[in-house]
Amino acid sequence: MWRTLGLALLRLAGIMLLAGLLGGTLIRVAPGFAADERQLDSNLSSQSIQAVRQARLSDSNIPRFYAGYLASLVRGDLGTSQMLNQPIRDLLRERLPITLRNLALAVLLAWVMGLALAAATQLTGSRLLTSTAEGLSGTFISTPAAVLALVFVLLRLPPELAAALLVFPKIYRYCHNLLRQGYDRPHVLTALAKGAGRWRVLVWHVAPVSLPQMLALLGVSISLAIGVLLPIEAICDVSGIGQLAWQAATGRDLPLLVNLTLVVTFLTASATMFSDLARKTMTRSEV
Amino acid sequence: MKTARIMAAIVLVLAGAAALGAHYLAPAGYEQQFRMSPDAPPSTQHLLGTDDLGRDRMARLLYGTRVSLFLAPIAAGIATILAAFFGGMAGYFGGWVERCALLFVDLFLSIPWLFLLITVRAVLPLNISPQNSVIITFLLLGFLGWAASARVICAGTKELMKSEFVWLARASGFSGFKLIRLHLMPNLRGTLLAQFWISVPVFIITEANLGALGLGVTEPLPSLGSLLGELQSVIVLRPHPWQFLPLVILIVVVSCFQTLLNSSEVRT
Repeated sequence: MWRTLGLALLRLAGIMLLAGLLGGTLIRVAPGFAADERQLDSNLSSQSIQAVRQARLSDSNIPRFYAGYLASLVRGDLGTSQMLNQPIRDLLRERLPITLRNLALAVLLAWVMGLALAAATQLTGSRLLTSTAEGLSGTFISTPAAVLALVFVLLRLPPELAAALLVFPKIYRYCHNLLRQGYDRPHVLTALAKGAGRWRVLVWHVAPVSLPQMLALLGVSISLAIGVLLPIEAICDVSGIGQLAWQAATGRDLPLLVNLTLVVTFLTASATMFSDLARKTMTRSEV
Repeated sequence: MKTARIMAAIVLVLAGAAALGAHYLAPAGYEQQFRMSPDAPPSTQHLLGTDDLGRDRMARLLYGTRVSLFLAPIAAGIATILAAFFGGMAGYFGGWVERCALLFVDLFLSIPWLFLLITVRAVLPLNISPQNSVIITFLLLGFLGWAASARVICAGTKELMKSEFVWLARASGFSGFKLIRLHLMPNLRGTLLAQFWISVPVFIITEANLGALGLGVTEPLPSLGSLLGELQSVIVLRPHPWQFLPLVILIVVVSCFQTLLNSSEVRT
């Protein structure tokens, strides 16, 4: 158990290091990296413009920038945003809780909707309900996050609901199939034939078998929710990590983008890792 | 279910035919401006009205559907080839090659797909010709969207490498390219095709997301994504039902792809 956890943490650290390097390299090779719009500001003195230019040049060597960045990271210094001219630590401290709150709400709502619909379609066996659920999930799986965010702005609805609606189809479809496979198992068919109620069968026979795979889906759903929150926060003007990432990407703010890539990768990779570990532990204990 | 699939296939064929025949259905083209009638409502002359610049919405929708519907499969093809290369290599060689390849795959999977795409698209030049923006957008989709498929193909290749007929082939002296060409590729064809078809609707939606955020295909060339981007001002200022048709078309097209892929093997 401890060895598995240690290996998973090592893998997580490796992925994060590579992700940061990837983010930094992408920005460095981007055209116009060395240019800064502050250089065109006529109010700045020649010394200030020179300092801006020098600051950009100091970031141009990616390995040096990244090594320096990691050394500062160990000391707890995340650097300063070139675009917002604020310490990145403060920016993350302000915005991360907002995104985490939205993320938690979106994932929770998506799971409640997806799981409830999947269970209801299996329990009732109603074709109308199944068709409605299929239609709903099909519509939301085909809707771009940015467009749904626009509609939510128009209707003044909470953005986390938009994220939940975009994540729920995956959860519904996966859970629906898992539960259906669960109901097709011989011991479940026997229990049903012996007159056990569908609720009882669901709780005692189908759910325990499907739970490990559902746990694996939890990590995926968190990753999905982070992905859809990016355009939603940018369009709905929510001051979270998504909006910050959007601003950093368009403003080519290298230090901020590298930090955000690390934060996003950490959230995604750790969610996947823990759900995977939980699934493995549960499967092992069942065996 | 079979009827739904047939209906979906018919709708896709019709959409593809309309997009291909855009030149005949909307001879005005996607960039001709009718300056006397900007932002006009639907009429016999302009079936879906005109946009702010006086361009025929119907023509733009047809040409936009053509761009999205025909370039997404090309991007999916690139992604599938890359996935086959990395996934196949990992499954074939195993050991440290597999570990390194899967770490690389995990890296791509750990960074949310849209975050990565927006970051990469944002660092590329924005003042490029419309034709180049189309190429860049769909190449990016292809080059960044292979990771999930690579995992599936790696698992499929590993399974095949353990099969008796591959052992027999190896014992008979088959190795390297011959083994891949004669035994692995034919048996992986189904998996590769499934991954290809799964990628097509995903790429259509992702292009729409990029377009809606202003990072997709640039003006005046339309795509479903760039047409959705126009909704940003439309929704806030004065929404008219016919202006939402690109969204409806997008949902219908992607739903049809989903219906065609609607088998338990693909879903779980």
